[in-house]
Amino acid sequence: MTVESAAAKEETTPEPRIGRSWHVILPPLCYLAVAAAMVGYTQAVPLDGIEHGSLNLTFLRRRTWEHVELVFFSTVLVLVVALPLGVLLTRRALRRATPVVLALVNLGQATPAVGLVVLLAVLFTIGFWTAVVALFAYSLLPTLRNTMVGIEQVDPRLVDAGRGIGMSAAGVLFKVELPMAVPVILSGVRTTLVLNVGTAGIAAFIGSGGLGDLITTGVSTQRNLVLITGCVLIAVLALIIDWLGGLAQRYLSPKGLT
Amino acid sequence: MNLWEYVEDRWDLILFETVQHASMVAQCVLVAAVLGVLVGVATYRRPRPAAVATSIAGVLFTIPSLAMLGLLIPPLGLGVAPSVTAIVLYALLPIIRNTVVGLRGVDATLVDAARGIGMSRRGSLARVELPLAWPVILTGIRVATQLAMGIGAVAAYVSGPGLGEQIFSGLARLGGANAVNSALTGTIGVAILALLFDGCFVLLGRLTTPGLRHG
Repeated sequence: MTVESAAAKEETTPEPRIGRSWHVILPPLCYLAVAAAMVGYTQAVPLDGIEHGSLNLTFLRRRTWEHVELVFFSTVLVLVVALPLGVLLTRRALRRATPVVLALVNLGQATPAVGLVVLLAVLFTIGFWTAVVALFAYSLLPTLRNTMVGIEQVDPRLVDAGRGIGMSAAGVLFKVELPMAVPVILSGVRTTLVLNVGTAGIAAFIGSGGLGDLITTGVSTQRNLVLITGCVLIAVLALIIDWLGGLAQRYLSPKGLT
Repeated sequence: MNLWEYVEDRWDLILFETVQHASMVAQCVLVAAVLGVLVGVATYRRPRPAAVATSIAGVLFTIPSLAMLGLLIPPLGLGVAPSVTAIVLYALLPIIRNTVVGLRGVDATLVDAARGIGMSRRGSLARVELPLAWPVILTGIRVATQLAMGIGAVAAYVSGPGLGEQIFSGLARLGGANAVNSALTGTIGVAILALLFDGCFVLLGRLTTPGLRHG
C-alpha cells in the first residue's frame, strides 16, 4: 500500500462500531447545550432595536430553517446527480473518462466557494435558488469522485466471482459493488453536508437567507451579539450535521465489511 | 469592457492582491505546519492525547470558516489578525492528523532496529521515523494549503488581504459594470494560485522523497 493511499484510507475509514452509548450521545448534547445557552442569553439580556430584530425567536427559527433547507435541497440534488453519474462513469464503456473527471474535480476544488457563490449571483440573480445552485455546483464534484473511488476500490476478483456464479451485470452492481462502496460514498456525503453548511453561511452574501444573515447583519451594524449568535448557531448546526453523518456511516454501512 | 481589458487595466492592483494572497497562505501554512508537526510528534505515541488533539482539531475544522472568522472579529478586530488566525486553525487539522497517521504507520521493526544500533529516541525520530512519515505529512500540508486558499478568499469579508477583495468588490458592484469581471478575476486568480501551489507540492514531494516513491 502506498503512503498516499494509506492517508486516503484513514480519511474514509468509517467510525468504529464500538463505544458506549454516552460516547455517541454526549457530543450532540454538548452542542445543543451551547446553542441553547447562546439563545437563552440573547433572550435574557436587554436588546436594542436592531438586535431585537435579528434575535427574536421567530426570526432565529426562520433563519435556522432556511439554512437547513439550503443544505437539504443542495445535498439532495447532488445525490440525485452524483450517484447515478458515478455509477455510469465506472462502467467499462466510460472508464476512460475517469482521468478527465478527476482533473475536473481538482479544478473544482481549487475554486473558492465564495467566488462561485458571488459569481453566480453576479451572473444570474441573487436569492435562495441561486444559492442552492452554487452549493450544488460546489459539492457535486467531490461527491462524484467519492462515488467513483468507492466503486473502483472494490476488489475486481469479487466482481469476477459475482459474474462467475451467474449474476447479471446489474446484479453484481447492486449486490456486490454498491454495498462495498457504501462506506466511501457515505463519507463523501458527510463531507458534502458539512461543507454545505459552511457554504450556505457564505450564501447569505447573496441574499439567500440562512444563519449567515445574522453574521452579515452583525458585521454591518456592528452588533457583536448578533454576529456571535449567528456564528455559534452555524457552528452548532455544522457539528450536529457532522454527528448525524457519523451515525449514518455507522448504521448504513453494510454489516461485516470492516 | 471584457475580462482581459479589465485585468490589463488593473494589473498592478491584481498582481499586488495575488502576491498578498500567496504570501498570506504560505506564511499561515508554514506556521500551521510547524505547530501541527510538533503536536503530532508530541502525541503520536500516546493514544489518549493524540485522540484529544485530533478531536479538538476536528471540531475546529467542522466549524464553517465564515463562522470562525466572525467569532474572531470581537476579540481581534478586522483585518489581518482574524484572517491569519482562522487560516492557521483550519490548516492544523490535516497536518496533525497526517503527522500522527504517518508516524504511526512507520514499521515498528525499523524503529526497533534504529534503537538497537544505538540511536537515541530523538535520533530515531529525526532520522528514521520523520523521513519515513514525510510523504504522508506532506500530503497533509498540501491539503491544508488548498483549504487555506479558499478561506483566504472568504477572509476578505473581514477586511483580510488577498484576492478575495476582487470577489467582494464584484458583489458590491452587483448589476454594475465590471461586477462579473471583478468576481471572475478573484475566483480564477485564487484557482490558479491553488493549482500552482499544488504543483509545487507535487514537485517538492518528488524532490524530498528519494527511493520512497514505489511505496
